[in-house]
Amino acid sequence: MTLSELARVVRSKNAGPTLLTIDVLFADEDTFVRGRAGLTVEAVAARYGRAVADVSVISVSAAKAVKIVLPREVPAGAPGDRDVYGAQQHVPLLGLSV
Amino acid sequence: MSSFARLAANWSGPEAPLRVLAASGQLGLGIPEKAFDAGVERKPHVIAADMGSIDPGPVYLGSGKMAASPSMARRDLEMVLKAARGLDVPLLIGSAGTAGGAPHLAAVEALLRSVAADWGLRFRLATIGADVPKDIVQAADSAGRLTPIGPMQADIEGSLAIVGQMGQRAFAKALEAGADVILAGRACDTAPFAVVPVLLGYPKGPSVHMAKILECTSLCCEPGGRDAMLATLEGDGFTLESMNPVRAATPLSVAAHALYEQSEPNRVFEPEGHVELSDATYEALDERRVLVKGAVWHSSAKPSVKVEAARFVGHRVAIMAAVADPGFIAVSDKILQGVQDGVAELITSTSDAPWGLTFRRYGIDGIMDWPTPPDTPPREIFILGECVAPDAETARAVAAAARQQLLHFGFPGRLCTGGNLAFPVTPPELDAGPAYAFSLYHILQLDTWEAHDALFPVTFHEI
Repeated sequence: MTLSELARVVRSKNAGPTLLTIDVLFADEDTFVRGRAGLTVEAVAARYGRAVADVSVISVSAAKAVKIVLPREVPAGAPGDRDVYGAQQHVPLLGLSV
Repeated sequence: MSSFARLAANWSGPEAPLRVLAASGQLGLGIPEKAFDAGVERKPHVIAADMGSIDPGPVYLGSGKMAASPSMARRDLEMVLKAARGLDVPLLIGSAGTAGGAPHLAAVEALLRSVAADWGLRFRLATIGADVPKDIVQAADSAGRLTPIGPMQADIEGSLAIVGQMGQRAFAKALEAGADVILAGRACDTAPFAVVPVLLGYPKGPSVHMAKILECTSLCCEPGGRDAMLATLEGDGFTLESMNPVRAATPLSVAAHALYEQSEPNRVFEPEGHVELSDATYEALDERRVLVKGAVWHSSAKPSVKVEAARFVGHRVAIMAAVADPGFIAVSDKILQGVQDGVAELITSTSDAPWGLTFRRYGIDGIMDWPTPPDTPPREIFILGECVAPDAETARAVAAAARQQLLHFGFPGRLCTGGNLAFPVTPPELDAGPAYAFSLYHILQLDTWEAHDALFPVTFHEI
């Protein structure tokens, strides 16, 4: 199963102009546990072509959510930036096998 | 007696229900009227709104302009001001005019004054500046008290405008000195929502947690939206309810919202300390309301202020073109590199007058560099060229040269010798005006609260 089939929400957004945060929200405990197991730092880094050291993954039980934080390659809105709000950076995760 | 003094004088204590109405998380972009009116009918004790954000990018701070149109900003200000004066309750607005710098604050103050004049409203207004002098940032940098948040290269000297995010202290000072309405420059999103509960004795942890969720109004609901949101603080918790009956606050939707736009899911930092959310609980009171408890506030010994700045990076011209030819699309990366090189031969880019030209290929890598190529090549691609140069004339010259080379660039197996590009509009180069970049996104640590308070001066105006 892919993450897009398992998760209820997969969203990305800036956390300030230098960081990108991706929240993966699940509908219940079972899908949360399964999704969390697949969202390893290594798997996320591979999906984005980034170094493992750049990626942080934090799970939040109360929200049945997994949060991913990546540094932006270009600060938001600077010349060469391609996604000022960072709202379309979630897509590489959708096909992750979980 | 000010609206806050009257509220404080009659307040029995933090066991009484205190209602905070969040009018908007983006004042000036159109408050949904029906839900706001429903909120006003609940007789809130305070009305608050956030008007700014760093999300739209450096252009607003750099240019001194606001993202909202003046006419829509005026409409929203009229709604909240009439409601707050009608109920005689405090009105608190944070991050005036998107970026919250001096020109933004002045523009919103002028709109507020014109609304007040139209309706004959009289009140005590406090405006709070948020501009940070360069020498203070430079001194902090020299002393090792300036820390970047994420990858950000500081350019203090080159900054056109520097603002700091104020916390609750300046709002509290203004309220205690008799302000009915507060219009603040750049502020923490939470500050205008949390300050009145804290001053009335409600515990700071839940007050700031409430503010963090409430500042986006009904975005914390299922389905999320922009409608006004009501928080009722009582004892050590608070209840959230959307003023649009189709939007439901559920334990999951509210807990998930606490993550939104945050790099740390369990902690929210402010100049005066941070709130810890690890032990927060979310309990459904019914299908549309959630009771939240358990956030804990930790005060810090010394103030730390988040500072933001923007610098001018040049004039920007955009080139817009589209391609369907499969031969072109297959080698488009090489063609675009060839165009870069060809333009550089025509127009010299020197360290004194550097120009930059970048291309995004929508359909291939418009949004990101994908780790893997697509399974099948796209049928069409859109090419957006971005040229930034020290002056407008150079930017236009580079863009025109790039467009022409791209149109007629030869490549192996080329069939489309009439031209490589479908232009969607003419001229295909659009002058986008001055371009900016963030030049500070840092934590500025200060030694004393006096130094902190001096950054956020409060000015009173009798309207």
